[in-house]
Amino acid sequence: MSTGLTELLDNFVKNHDNRQLLALPLAVFAVSLIILLVSIINTGSPLNLGMEFQGGTQISVETTDSPAVLKEMYSSYPITDARQAGSRVIMQFDVMDNEEQQKLETDVTGHYSNVEIRQVGPIYGRDLQIQAMQALFISFIGMCIVVFLLFRTLIPSFTVMFSAFSDIVIAVAFMKVAGIELSLGTLAALLMLIGYSVDSDILLTNRVIKRRGMVEEKISRAMHTGITMTTTTLAALAVMYIVSTFSYLVIPSFTQITLLSQISIVLIAGLIADIMNTWLLNTAVLRWYVTKPEFRGRYNR
Amino acid sequence: MNDKKNLFKNIRVIIFALILLGSIVAIHPSYTPGKGITTNLNFGLDLEGGSWLQIKLEGALAQVDVDSGKLISGIVEPAIGAPIEITSNNLDMGGSTSAGKSITFTTSAPVSVSQIESLELGTVSVDKLSDTKTQITISDTSKETMIVAYLSKALDAEVVIVPGAEKGIVYEIRTEVSEQQLEALLEKVGGSIHKNQDGTSTYKEGVSSGTRDLTKEILSDKLNSLGLKDIPVRTVGEDYILIDFAGIDLATAKEIAEKPGKFEIRIQTTGNQTQHVLYGDSIVSVGIPSYHDGQYHTPFTLNEGGARALQKIALETGAIDNPDEHYLNMYLDEVQIYGAPLSPSAAERLRETPIYSWEASTGTDEAAKAEAEALQIHLRAGALPVNVVLVGSGHVDAGLGSQFKTASVVTGILSLFAVAAVVYFRYKRPEILVPMVGTSFSEVIMILGVASLIGWQLDLASIAGIIAAIGTGIDHLVIITDEVLYEGRLPPTKVFASRIGKAFTIIIGAAATTVIAMTPLVVMGFGTLKGFAITTIIGVFIGVAIARPVYGVVIKELLHVDERGNGGITE
Repeated sequence: MSTGLTELLDNFVKNHDNRQLLALPLAVFAVSLIILLVSIINTGSPLNLGMEFQGGTQISVETTDSPAVLKEMYSSYPITDARQAGSRVIMQFDVMDNEEQQKLETDVTGHYSNVEIRQVGPIYGRDLQIQAMQALFISFIGMCIVVFLLFRTLIPSFTVMFSAFSDIVIAVAFMKVAGIELSLGTLAALLMLIGYSVDSDILLTNRVIKRRGMVEEKISRAMHTGITMTTTTLAALAVMYIVSTFSYLVIPSFTQITLLSQISIVLIAGLIADIMNTWLLNTAVLRWYVTKPEFRGRYNR
Repeated sequence: MNDKKNLFKNIRVIIFALILLGSIVAIHPSYTPGKGITTNLNFGLDLEGGSWLQIKLEGALAQVDVDSGKLISGIVEPAIGAPIEITSNNLDMGGSTSAGKSITFTTSAPVSVSQIESLELGTVSVDKLSDTKTQITISDTSKETMIVAYLSKALDAEVVIVPGAEKGIVYEIRTEVSEQQLEALLEKVGGSIHKNQDGTSTYKEGVSSGTRDLTKEILSDKLNSLGLKDIPVRTVGEDYILIDFAGIDLATAKEIAEKPGKFEIRIQTTGNQTQHVLYGDSIVSVGIPSYHDGQYHTPFTLNEGGARALQKIALETGAIDNPDEHYLNMYLDEVQIYGAPLSPSAAERLRETPIYSWEASTGTDEAAKAEAEALQIHLRAGALPVNVVLVGSGHVDAGLGSQFKTASVVTGILSLFAVAAVVYFRYKRPEILVPMVGTSFSEVIMILGVASLIGWQLDLASIAGIIAAIGTGIDHLVIITDEVLYEGRLPPTKVFASRIGKAFTIIIGAAATTVIAMTPLVVMGFGTLKGFAITTIIGVFIGVAIARPVYGVVIKELLHVDERGNGGITE
């Protein structure tokens, strides 16, 4: 799998000039930005905020009843949604006062087994929203500082930063399109992506500007290593996604683990974007940079 | 044979082996028939079953400026229903001690001593100068006392001075109050919220760390006294407290947390007989223990009803004439926690008037200090010093938790297999595959070892973190492998060392970005995600410092053996 992909990508990179390589990643980046902008205009936020960030109650129960039946059953509470998740039904409620909340909890735990309840007050939700934005921002800046300290040259460092930024934008746009909400789990995935996605960029940039050898050769070797890295990670994530999402179909005693399922799918989207951004976008910029006449082939021998 | 010997002489390999062994000992896996496999690992609520409550402490901190003259008018005029005229005032003199400070004013309305005393400003004396003029002097007072009295009356909440504040006096208002509300209140008495030197307001939402810790202690004390052992109460961020109830459902947890303890004061009548005086709801506020007059004291204040009840019963039982025969005993949930006679001076004063402010003295030594502090918690009887609101809660059934646990273990193992398959497909050499997967697996064991050593609770998020660490770990091992075999064959030892060095510059760079990206989650208040971030960071450190260098050594030895027979790596 990895070898086939590497050959394909390697040939593609060798046979196209820098401009052509940039076209696809920049186009995907632009489309993602448009998706997010449209969402901001329509809803005021680039992502649908999950319960943790908005306040409300989420209750998931093991049941053979359909979501519609449950929605009807709890219609006296501010139920906003009920959906199937494997052998479970997840119900979503708006913010309630303490008494109503307690009544609902007693009601549900009395009726069903294997209950999971999560409740977040609107004040805490707002606090979390602010903290989430801060966390993403600080992580990104921190990553940029590390990258700059590693290379100490403007264009290569900036390209790595941009490629990581694009990974995140694409992953967020994917979440929007696929209808995945921003939850604590998906936030963790986005932060993880900041750390993960620069790995292969660092490898590439390091090999090309800090190593002797012909540029094409160095890129091609870096690609062999880099694609292996990303595919091993993707393999681990794909298994995590499949087991946490679908295992109940095979083994009925298993259950969906939403947290793991969400983390893995967002990371998968981000890492696929990363393959494209590293080996097309970052490679193209780097190849253009190191073959600039003013370096007189300094990086190409 | 020779190579193998070298391998086990390598200091890195020895350290690696020792830490791996240590981790297994720390995890301490054992199998008991019937009970299955048991370990020392702690699991979080979402894997063990149970519920949690997250509460926010409401309050505000601010430094304030006021005009002491207007302030006293603002406090006294509504209480006596008539305007006052200040005749002398030395409250604005330096220093915050109340010694020698007093304020004198006159009014046309008739005023009694107890009327002013109930305002709790200081020592009161009232002189009737003429039919239409009464002079009142409040001594042993200070501007700070007045501010506290004014704000607590106006907001119907406890207001205290934060101890140990360095720059100016910080008032802690133990209820929710906005900056605008506070500003408006202060404006009425010619005051304002103090500004910092840079022009920002000193108003801050939240409570002092002392108050937060006190709240935490009261909660721990109360929950653990209910016979529920080991309910961890943690502070999260500045204003949040998280309580974990392992194995208890949400409804019960809420009931436990909301139910206050039963506090009662009883008085000795004859012999061992006692009579009820008041319950905990008569206690308005409890102060911070202090040392004065050679003893430790815990101050507390009674409300109107409580103060009158105490006076009445003291008179009826004869405690006023013979305090030593009539101890005042305090009980929390029917257990006696304190007992002492009325002091002679208090007994004397009770003859005339009810007393609102009391102090329970506990003695002179260190034990007395501890008792005073315990009493501070007990007097509150589970009532918290600040208003709290429930901002989050959660519940996972034990059955669901164990499903999660099994599923995540299966996920972890299958992920490792998937990674192994990709690695094998890429290199097609077992002498690379085995050390790679072995290293990765040892890293997981070490992460778990550290987790059980520090008593970390593994929850679902931590498990995701471990899987993420496997992912980065394998990435780095791939970098090492490819770097070592850069020309497709194993280089001479000298070159090999520099190759490993190069690999590690990339690895350390990549590891640094991961650690940096995860740091905000550790520092900030995210409960669930903290576990994810911490396990990922621990994993990265273990990997970079311990496991991956050893992989470099091992792979060199293994490939070296192979190199003599069948050189090179096929691509």
